[in-house]
Amino acid sequence: MSYTRLIVANLLRNKLRTAFTAGAITLAVVLVCLLLTMPAALDRLLDSAASDVRISVHHKAGLVYNLPESFARKVRAVDGVEAAVGVLWYGGAFEESGKVTFPNFAVEAEHLAAVYADYPVEPQQFADLVKYRDGAIVGRQIMDKYDWNLGDRISLTSTVTPIDLDFRIVGVIEDPQAPNFWFNRKYLDQAYEKKFGEGLGVLGTVWVRASDPSKVNQIMQTIDEMSRNSEAETASETEKSFFSNFFGSLQGFIRIILLVTGLVTLCIVFIAANTASMNVRERSGEIAVLKAIGFARRAIFGSLFGEAVLISSAAGLLGLALAMGLTNFLRSFADSGDLGPMSGFVLTGPVIVQGLFLSLFIGMLAGVVPSFGAARKPVVDALREIF
Amino acid sequence: MSSNDAPLIRVDNVSRNYVRGTDEVHALEHVTLHIDQGRFAALMGPSGSGKSTLLNLISGIDRPSSGEVIVSGQSLPDLSEDALAQWRARHVGLIFQFFNLMPVLSAHENVALPLLLTDLGKAERKERALTALRAVGLEDRIDHFPATLSGGEQQRVAIARAIVSDPDLIVADEPTGDLDAKNAESILDLLRALKTSFGKTVVMVTHDPRALRFVDEAHHLDKGVLLDEKAAAQAAAALQASVRGEASPS
Repeated sequence: MSYTRLIVANLLRNKLRTAFTAGAITLAVVLVCLLLTMPAALDRLLDSAASDVRISVHHKAGLVYNLPESFARKVRAVDGVEAAVGVLWYGGAFEESGKVTFPNFAVEAEHLAAVYADYPVEPQQFADLVKYRDGAIVGRQIMDKYDWNLGDRISLTSTVTPIDLDFRIVGVIEDPQAPNFWFNRKYLDQAYEKKFGEGLGVLGTVWVRASDPSKVNQIMQTIDEMSRNSEAETASETEKSFFSNFFGSLQGFIRIILLVTGLVTLCIVFIAANTASMNVRERSGEIAVLKAIGFARRAIFGSLFGEAVLISSAAGLLGLALAMGLTNFLRSFADSGDLGPMSGFVLTGPVIVQGLFLSLFIGMLAGVVPSFGAARKPVVDALREIF
Repeated sequence: MSSNDAPLIRVDNVSRNYVRGTDEVHALEHVTLHIDQGRFAALMGPSGSGKSTLLNLISGIDRPSSGEVIVSGQSLPDLSEDALAQWRARHVGLIFQFFNLMPVLSAHENVALPLLLTDLGKAERKERALTALRAVGLEDRIDHFPATLSGGEQQRVAIARAIVSDPDLIVADEPTGDLDAKNAESILDLLRALKTSFGKTVVMVTHDPRALRFVDEAHHLDKGVLLDEKAAAQAAAALQASVRGEASPS
């Protein structure tokens, strides 16, 4: 006979109730651990997707404002710039619903390969994009999503300009996460000129490749200085910063989810506390007898509090094991590219520690009030209630 | 009187009042009672007479509103709640009417429960619990849970729990109240054996007139007052008569 045996025996007294309480805590720990991995997963995604030498240059007022087409030429002349490509949002919809389901851009094809030299695209395919007026290079994610193949012809309906275009896929970005669709902007310019008598004359963003990471800051300053006091002042930022801002709304979403999770956790604390109170109430006779035979307030408190902490700790460990299994399971789909940032879920040491602390916190918070209440009641009052 | 001659239990001019709703209840009024070591004493009286209140005061479960309670040389009202709990663990073994065993623990574990409050090692705790169970004749039931034991057996486990820490004083509140006649006599025999074989002082609250045959002394209470010798003798005679009445054919 030991205190541990006493605590375990009491926990196993109503197995179903114990299982439900533990289940609720387990679920909270799994949920919180998964959500805590999201910011780190996003950061890893940005690190893997962003280059340390690529810069985005866009209108200071926002991405929806255009820059003059000639600005890309000026950027290419800046000291330290190895290459620069102007891109323009086409907003082409493939599906009949008319919704844009993947990003598609008209690009200065002859400069694309130099800026995206690190992308897994065959050099010949970059050359084919320049060579074939209606050519397009498409990310593997989109290729797989629509079951397209190299050489397939597809049509996009623009949601931005009244120009619909047919394309031939001449290259593939062999990265399962790549959602891009690039085509030669001359193709768009010619179609536009044919319809309206003049070219578009604008671009949305200039993507710059610096010759050296150490020159990135200087290049950004120079470019932004160059456009100062013009009609289209620019804001330059690194590719990681660009992606980070692009995912900014997602991070806000994560914060909301974390807030909701916190509230759910609080609910589970109340549920667990209610269960602990019920346990104490149902066992008031036994607790009174324990007091009568000499168990002091500290021993009574410790025994009841120990039950709450033991069940929450066990549930926490189970929750961590489940969260690990789930993250491994999600990562096993990473190669398919279907899960996006979710495939970056990794249960790191700090997240595991936070999960354990969470479960302990739930147990302690749920156990402290009923345990204290039961412990401090005078023995004679406790006995009078039952006899 | 030397300290060796001092009674184990000294209750001097004790009153106990408490408030129930808006009423003040005088559960005990100016009770004085001395019980020597090694005696088997019964506290008797009708319901509401204050005998359980007196037992609670003697066992350190309750505190008097006024007066002095000294047990084993310790003035109980002077102790804090936790100190009283420690004192009970060391000096008092408690037996209840409804046995009050832990249903989730085996007989052996129930008996070993008070030993958690001692410094004894696990092996010694186990050995002492087995010894106590042997003393009450339940060595073959050690792994049984309360639900699988008869009422008499459960009360024996409760008695084993009360004696396992070798206390000076055993207090029993209606220990035969929930038992049939045969088991009741068996339990009274066992309580007497605690006195004769182990020198324990046993104080028992009971309604049961059969108890008079087993005890060394009986103290009668009525309406919170301890009856004097004459009134007590009348009460005892009335009880004996009721026993004979029960025994004779109607």
